[in-house]
Amino acid sequence: MLARLGLPLGVLLLAALASLLIALGVGSAQIPPAQIWDVALSHIGQGSGDTLAWTMVMELRLPRALSAFAVGGLLAVAGALMQVLLRNPLADPYVLGLSGGASIGALAAMLGGLGGLAISGSAFGGALFSTFLVFGLAHGSGGWTPSRLLLTGVVVAAGWGAVITLMLAMSPAERLPGMLYWLMGDLSYARTPWPPLLLLLATCVVLIPLGRSLNVLARGPQQAAALGVAVRPLEWCIYIAASLLTAAAVTTAGSIGFVGLVVPHMLRLLLGNDQRLILPACALAGGTLLVLADTLARTMIAPEQLPVGVITALLGVPTFLFLLYRSR
Amino acid sequence: MSVLATRDLIIDVPGRADGTPLNITIEPGQVWGVLGPNGAGKTTLLHTLAGLHAPRSGSVQLNGSVIGQLRRRQVAQCLGLVFQERQDGFPATVLETALIGRHPYLSPWQMEGADDYARAEAALERLDVAHLHDRLVSTLSGGERQRVAIATVLTQAPDVWLADEPTNHLDLHHQSAVMALIAEQANQGQAVIMCLHDLNLAARWCDHVLLLYPNGEACWGSRDSMLVPSALEDLYRQKLAVVEVDGAPVFVPIKG
Amino acid sequence: MFILVNKSSYLVRGALGLALLLLSSISHAHDHSRCVVDDRDREVCLYNAAQRIATLSPGATELTFAAGAGDQVVAVVSYSDYPPEAKQITSVGSHTRIDLEALVGLAPDLVIGWVTGNPAEQLETLEALGMPVFYIEPRDVEGVASAIERLARLAGTEAAGQAVAANFRQTMGEIDARYADREPVATFYQVWDEPLMSVNDQHLIGQVVEMCGGENVFGEQARLVPRIDDEAVLATNPKAIVAGGMGEENRHWLTHWEQYPNLTAVAEDNLFFVPPSLIQRPTPRLMEGAQLLCEKLDIARQKRERR
Repeated sequence: MLARLGLPLGVLLLAALASLLIALGVGSAQIPPAQIWDVALSHIGQGSGDTLAWTMVMELRLPRALSAFAVGGLLAVAGALMQVLLRNPLADPYVLGLSGGASIGALAAMLGGLGGLAISGSAFGGALFSTFLVFGLAHGSGGWTPSRLLLTGVVVAAGWGAVITLMLAMSPAERLPGMLYWLMGDLSYARTPWPPLLLLLATCVVLIPLGRSLNVLARGPQQAAALGVAVRPLEWCIYIAASLLTAAAVTTAGSIGFVGLVVPHMLRLLLGNDQRLILPACALAGGTLLVLADTLARTMIAPEQLPVGVITALLGVPTFLFLLYRSR
Repeated sequence: MSVLATRDLIIDVPGRADGTPLNITIEPGQVWGVLGPNGAGKTTLLHTLAGLHAPRSGSVQLNGSVIGQLRRRQVAQCLGLVFQERQDGFPATVLETALIGRHPYLSPWQMEGADDYARAEAALERLDVAHLHDRLVSTLSGGERQRVAIATVLTQAPDVWLADEPTNHLDLHHQSAVMALIAEQANQGQAVIMCLHDLNLAARWCDHVLLLYPNGEACWGSRDSMLVPSALEDLYRQKLAVVEVDGAPVFVPIKG
Repeated sequence: MFILVNKSSYLVRGALGLALLLLSSISHAHDHSRCVVDDRDREVCLYNAAQRIATLSPGATELTFAAGAGDQVVAVVSYSDYPPEAKQITSVGSHTRIDLEALVGLAPDLVIGWVTGNPAEQLETLEALGMPVFYIEPRDVEGVASAIERLARLAGTEAAGQAVAANFRQTMGEIDARYADREPVATFYQVWDEPLMSVNDQHLIGQVVEMCGGENVFGEQARLVPRIDDEAVLATNPKAIVAGGMGEENRHWLTHWEQYPNLTAVAEDNLFFVPPSLIQRPTPRLMEGAQLLCEKLDIARQKRERR
């Protein structure tokens, strides 16, 4: 049993570390690995290494790579949770209008000429507002069902889409590029990587004991209740957790699509559907994917920078289709 | 051994009058059959007994406690339910499916141990689906899935079995095998309540019968007092002929 | 060496002010530190003139060259095409997304940022890494002249910069004196065609139109760059239509209007093209653009007088 969990997670952990090393070693400035090593050593020994190389690796590449990892992990875990909650393989954090709400918050802050923390805070507020709006409306007069929640989310998301288009059309020309980059997902916004990383870690620790309950819930709420799962509290817990994770991810790096949908599916095709394995695997694989995508985004046509959301889709779509085709 | 009882229970079927309040006690070792035409509320009754559906009034009591006030985990350790309909949702193997029967007994941090696997494998063996244990449930036939579902409850090993049409999709051999398994459970002291469409299975395997009418009226008692042609003809609005085969009555619908 | 003082850090600023006061009362030591206020109202101080300047917008590049500090520019962004020497300088991405690594690798000692054009987070990161950022965004003629002077001060090229700024002020003043009071010409300035966009009176181009004695038909619009449609143009019936655009030649923008022969500007053949690079960037080339625009509007004015 331990081997069944340990082996895939070990492999994914190695992949994650490798991706982080690549992200640290590659950039538009050419810094030979040996020099990075020297700098690291001299830094530990308080020696005088090349401070420029140190600045680039530790203050530009490392925070960005860690942010990418955290965001990718958060989105993938949120996607896996949403899919279990709605028992619908098409669910992802963005389907329920979360990213739409966050986008509107962020764009409103940008339109108001605010920057940095104000955009993040506003995006977070927008995501939570959208969460409660969708949940409240889906609840209606009776209880909510997955299909009703999904439908409400899709319609609310479409509404947000229209508002976003309206805001873009109304915004002054000089603010447009920033807004478009935000909508396509962009890690140059990322500031300190620690809050999303800690959230990711905390989520994994909290969710692993819930993993078997989630497995049972994936069989349907009645079956889960018959097997001793307190269904309603668990569903609330998943919904709130997925919303928080998405809000944190969107707040850090704008709206990056696709990771939440594709990573959980890829892992299910490869590893089966035990949430105790899938959730931590999602955290690792989602993080790895986004670190690699961001490394490509900032180096592919350097010095020009690409939005990372484009790369995640370009990497994820063929990989996913290949796995799906092979699985039959 | 657990005892399931109802106190003035009226199940909540939308748009229907209250009907007869149910006051029944299912003792360990008893096998109850619930009979009634389509839409009489058999499944609703079963879900209400399992605490999955709130009653309109009255209560269901498991070992003297109102079932809605018990934790689901406690209930699941005493009471198992074979559903008539199942959602597939995400792909899962036969073994994984049987193994979730151990969920009520494991703590959040606990992984399934060798003992849990042994129980699940034994249950699959008992239901004649052990050879399928790595197959995805979604690739199985209807009858195979039904047997996997029963194996899950067998792994759960509850004191009280609630089974909604346990012989659905099963061929004749497996129908008998499943009913024999249920009878064996009762002999070991488990209580069984099952909804049945087949009068003859009820006549053959049940010791108590509850007749549920579409208007909410109900009557219950020992098999022999309930399975009388006039009551059954009234229940199903169908003329019946009765013959005796192998010591048990056999009901056959006839024209007219 | 440099020191950066932010308006928000009153403590540092107060302490610095006190220190400077003490120093200046003893000697003229404050001559050694170069302090100027940028277009975000922050005081930026350098001890020594900047030797490695990164300019993060095409306009900033042009202004820095105009200030006589072209040789000190080590990094530019895409579309920094004027003066031609600027094209040879290393690019660090586009003004909307800067390749911070490439920029940091060039070790600039002064970064010229664009208040609304550059991503604020990236410039804040540069400041956190200890690079002084001087924000500019000239919004009028005086803003252009003052930006040149301030850049020259930071780069230690005061003599060259002040000469260029003075010449710019004088030339623009002469144009204003010659044309501003002539008979008004209702003018539509077309910034872009799809979607159709113009400028209002606050925009630098709007100010130039006014300087030429033109009357911007969309001058009262609330937005700096209002989006409009053909109907709005027909309703205001301008006497002259001036087109700019991204490229240097957009004749089809003007032929588009010929489908409305009743439009006064079309009837009197007052469809003009002014190369956008001469008028859309807040730089000394505005002198050339303004002169050109004023001459075009004067042609329109005279046609009307003949009629």
